[in-house]
Amino acid sequence: MAVLRAHGIAASLPSGFEGRIFIRPAIGREVPFPVANFATFALPADVGDFGSGAVNLMSTSDIFTTLFEYGPESLGRPLFARQGMPRSLSPTDFRPYVLRRGLNGQSGSQWFFTEAGRPFTLYVVLGSHVQRNLLVPRVNDLIGALAVDPVALPSSPPTSFSASVGAPWN
Amino acid sequence: MVALAIVLSAVVLLLAVLVAGLLRSHADILKALHDLGVGVGEPGSAHDHAHADHRTGAPGPGATGPVQVPLTLGPPLPGERSSTSAPTVVGVTPRGDALAIAVTGGDQLTLLAFLSSGCATCAGFWMAFQTPDQLGLSARTRLVVVTKGPDLEIPAEVAAQASPGLPVVMSTEAWGDYEVPGSPFFVLVDGETGARIGEGVANHFHQVAELVRRAESDTRVFSVGSASRSFADGLDGPERELDNDRELRRAGILPGDPSLYPSSLDELYGPTGQPLRPPKDGVSAREPIGRVG
Repeated sequence: MAVLRAHGIAASLPSGFEGRIFIRPAIGREVPFPVANFATFALPADVGDFGSGAVNLMSTSDIFTTLFEYGPESLGRPLFARQGMPRSLSPTDFRPYVLRRGLNGQSGSQWFFTEAGRPFTLYVVLGSHVQRNLLVPRVNDLIGALAVDPVALPSSPPTSFSASVGAPWN
Repeated sequence: MVALAIVLSAVVLLLAVLVAGLLRSHADILKALHDLGVGVGEPGSAHDHAHADHRTGAPGPGATGPVQVPLTLGPPLPGERSSTSAPTVVGVTPRGDALAIAVTGGDQLTLLAFLSSGCATCAGFWMAFQTPDQLGLSARTRLVVVTKGPDLEIPAEVAAQASPGLPVVMSTEAWGDYEVPGSPFFVLVDGETGARIGEGVANHFHQVAELVRRAESDTRVFSVGSASRSFADGLDGPERELDNDRELRRAGILPGDPSLYPSSLDELYGPTGQPLRPPKDGVSAREPIGRVG
């Protein structure tokens, strides 16, 4: 099994998946953070963080997944209250209207959470909503094998909060 | 008379030297063929070929010895190559990001170009890759450059030569996986069979493009023969559904195509009550297949 590791993120890729873990070059004063893209199809060289330029290439049996890290200022915000990445999604977690770019027939699921002291969102696109029962187990094979290293943050999270529920986008 | 005898002797001697040279050349060719495992007249050679998988070059059950990739390029490769497997290429980019390229799955071909930043012959390929549109590769073929890892290559030098839109993976492990004898070296992988179908050394990219063209025409022949495979293979359930989706996509019918969602029976069957396009091989382009996303 191919293992991909960079920027404190590691992925053991299930058969048929490819991926990249990268940090975009900073534009201006922006501070970019790591992004991991995974797909069951050939990822073009220039793909948007959330799959623009790639999801339009998906067949009905394809999967696209992004793990996107936010800056430490997001820590402690209610949106990232969920502790730990979802490791097993259900077909009912996927809805066509969750897609950032609504392509006919596709389906998506998005989750915000904090893992190892780092705020993330996990965004998954299925090539076919109808085939979600077949595709979701493959997604779970992938996200079940993702690992995030803790990073030494310059300061503690800004404030505590009382929200305790996770925050899937859907 | 003596002069004539001397001239004749000289001619005979010259001819003898020529014949010896030809015999030597012939022996060299036979030896090279033998090293490649295609020796002429060798007992067992026909048997070996009959048991080889024509498409993947993989040996059949019970076969032993070196494995040969079907299409080769350039001078003969070492005979001890042992596999046609095509593992995922995993490494880092010249910028230090992680990158994994899956070469199997799907129906596309992946052309792996094993290059070095310092080799003189590679310079021509790095330059050619700056204009990928002029390489003569079809949209079905994905070009990926693989250099040795940062332990043996200087990432900045690789970055300086790499084309912005081209995936470059730095991976010493991939060089081992694909048994790369040196650079430049090219490997062509068929995503559908998950096997190497071509490999070799080239001095100019047009030689590589020719290899890809040959491979594409070969795989096209096979794909024509695989029509209605799901039915022939006895696929059922989700596998058959996925296969049908692939067939529809090949026919240009994508998810959301209006033909998949007829609004009336007339639109489906026509005024005569007969299907507008009779099913062919079990799947009609007008058949309302609601399972396609």
